[in-house]
Amino acid sequence: MKFDLVIAGVGGQGNILASQVVAKCAMDAGYNVVNTETKGAAQRGGSVLSHVRIADGEIFSPLVPAGQADVLLGFEPLEALRYIGLLGKKGTFIINTAPVPTILANMKVDEYPSTEQIVAIIKEKGLDGHFLNATRAAKDLGNVLLTNVVMLGAFTAVSSVLQPDVILKKLLTMVDEKFHADDSRAFAVGRGLIGKEG
Amino acid sequence: MRKEFMLGNEAIARGAAEAGVRVVAGYPGTPATEIVDLCGGYPGVYAEWSANEKHAFEVATAASLTNQRSMAVMKHNGTNAAADFLMHVNFTGIRAGMVLITADDPGGLSSQCEEDTRILVHNYAHLPMFDPSSVQEAYDMTKAAFELSEKTELVFALRPVMRINHAGGMVEYGDVAPQSRPAEFVIDRKRFVMSAVVEKESGGELRPKMRHRWLNAKQAELKALMEDSPFNRVEKAPGEVGFIGCGIGYAFLKEAERIHGAKLPILKLSTLPLPEGKVLDFVRGLKKVVVFEEVEPVVEKLIKELCFEHKIVLEVLGRGGYLPSEGELSTNLVLTAVEAALAGKDYPAPAQGQYVSARTRTQCPGCSHRGLLVALKEVVRKNGGVVTGDIGCHDAGTFEPMNLQATIYCMGSSIPMAYGIKKAGFDKPVYALIGDSTFFHNGLTGLASAIYNGADITVVIAYNSTTAMTGFQPHPGSANNLNQPVTPIEPGAVAAAMGAKVFRCNPYNVEETARVIAEATAETGVKVVVAEALCYLKFGREGKISYTPRQVAVDVAVCNGCGLCVRTFGCPSITLSEGKAVIEPSSCNGCGVCVSVCKRGAIK
Repeated sequence: MKFDLVIAGVGGQGNILASQVVAKCAMDAGYNVVNTETKGAAQRGGSVLSHVRIADGEIFSPLVPAGQADVLLGFEPLEALRYIGLLGKKGTFIINTAPVPTILANMKVDEYPSTEQIVAIIKEKGLDGHFLNATRAAKDLGNVLLTNVVMLGAFTAVSSVLQPDVILKKLLTMVDEKFHADDSRAFAVGRGLIGKEG
Repeated sequence: MRKEFMLGNEAIARGAAEAGVRVVAGYPGTPATEIVDLCGGYPGVYAEWSANEKHAFEVATAASLTNQRSMAVMKHNGTNAAADFLMHVNFTGIRAGMVLITADDPGGLSSQCEEDTRILVHNYAHLPMFDPSSVQEAYDMTKAAFELSEKTELVFALRPVMRINHAGGMVEYGDVAPQSRPAEFVIDRKRFVMSAVVEKESGGELRPKMRHRWLNAKQAELKALMEDSPFNRVEKAPGEVGFIGCGIGYAFLKEAERIHGAKLPILKLSTLPLPEGKVLDFVRGLKKVVVFEEVEPVVEKLIKELCFEHKIVLEVLGRGGYLPSEGELSTNLVLTAVEAALAGKDYPAPAQGQYVSARTRTQCPGCSHRGLLVALKEVVRKNGGVVTGDIGCHDAGTFEPMNLQATIYCMGSSIPMAYGIKKAGFDKPVYALIGDSTFFHNGLTGLASAIYNGADITVVIAYNSTTAMTGFQPHPGSANNLNQPVTPIEPGAVAAAMGAKVFRCNPYNVEETARVIAEATAETGVKVVVAEALCYLKFGREGKISYTPRQVAVDVAVCNGCGLCVRTFGCPSITLSEGKAVIEPSSCNGCGVCVSVCKRGAIK
């Protein structure tokens, strides 16, 4: 068994927490796990990419090689586009369509592609996956910070490598109790979004 | 033996603690930073943030001379800063086991430059090094390095790369033994006094030459140790093309082998000096080898030399021309090279990547540096001055949209470079912009040099009371060290004592800051402007901020959508939407600096 997950997002989106939840669940299940993050000044608005590698045998590289990821979670569409090359031909993506504009695009010195453009480029690659608006779902639940939990819930609907209730339980052990009710709701909403996206 | 998931830096700290390290000193630098803090968490371990890496190296070495195991922790730029000391401690050797962590950042993912400290530490200083290929090996090597250091009386270096320091994996580990060594300092001037002294016993030879001979003689002992080292090994498979994986290069090679789908003849090399016998055994019968190493062709050249000495005809390929000579390795790069080498082809020229809109780093919303950058920019816009920059969060002032600092080199360069520009005859004002941690790291001597040489510059010190860039480590200007509260050394007081004219401002007040910088500029000599405000990101969490938070909003009736605020200011919280500036309330921290940027007064 080998399962490679990459999570692409922007600093502050809870990317690293989500990857740690998956990594810890895999360890509890007795798998070998290797992970790493590339987070060039993430707290300062940079791009964050988490790699989680799970196997029942030896894992050498902490980085998921290009074209080898089983699942790519894109917490932000531009970041998903940046790292889509990591996804394997038989892999699955889940991409949050809510953009976080870049500073350079805000200044009009660079262009942030439209969601339609990003979706078109990714579809052109012939990859399988789901586009959904996790940010809107999180806002509807009352807190934009729940975006990562919505995405994590959606992840459990496309991958059977770990049990959904195990992932949720692990998540709840890693956050303050006052967020448990909201996180559980967001997780369920995320799971429900798969298959229902337009 | 227990097994647990650890980050590379946790594994290194664990290894050091189990090896009985007593004193750990470092200066923050990605990717090595966390090691120092983590070591400090073990009972009986004294850990500190030294003012710079050279001092960390000196503190750690002195502890070793006092019979306590010690470790100095730094990133590659720091090892450069400590190079002078390195080139002395190699000749003296040490007493108790001592390890130097010199972390490299291939690709320069979080650094000003890409370099390979194996050249500095091994090729130049002739010290032994371990190059870990996994988190487990980082732990194993750290422990082994202490033992071997003590045995050989030499500093052993561990050279982890970013992908080791910041990777996590399962690590089998042991117990931390209680500290039991007496702290003894035995005076041995023949070893520990590096000076051009005539040595009677060596027929009147000078000590530097004698110690050089000692270090050279050590190399044979080291080579024998590496021959038996478990960190080097051969994996046999048929074929005339062999592959050599060094450090993380081995990890990428093993991944590539898995994807390639057939066993390859592999030599794993993770030590310097090389296990020459093992290398010779491996290459005999092969026609070609490809060496995968980060980042310079260090092992590749040593193997070429070895083959030359032993009259072995072998094609040795690697970073010296076959593979890309710059940047990080990857599984895909290694796989491409393996398949090309097996097919007898050149490494294919990589296809030009497609540009995806960049996400540049900037100051956080609420950062005091933004106000300082805006004020300084306003001053130089009017007087045509030049700003030399330094290392720290404020270095993002060199990017769009600030485009302020004209140079960034290394820690502390801003001050001597500023007055060098003036001494060359430049007739407009010159400013050195430097952070507080950097000021104490390597800015003090630059300031002394400037004052001593009658410079006419304005030094602006961004005093936010922390080393923010690397994750908020304290420094001599902070109110605590790694272990306890202390009285901060105030940069302005130091500058005044040196003879500079000192000015002060709060950078959240842009008008005041611009006025104070302009006043300082009007004076002659070395002027120091201390722009003091706590780092929002660190101290904001503790409820301590240096501004009065306010509700900032755009008056849409006044805003004409000119975009000056986004084009010149670059706060992530401000965007233009439907022809008007918009402030995102969820990310705005209410510092109000943007109010001064809008010339129409639309931001209130």
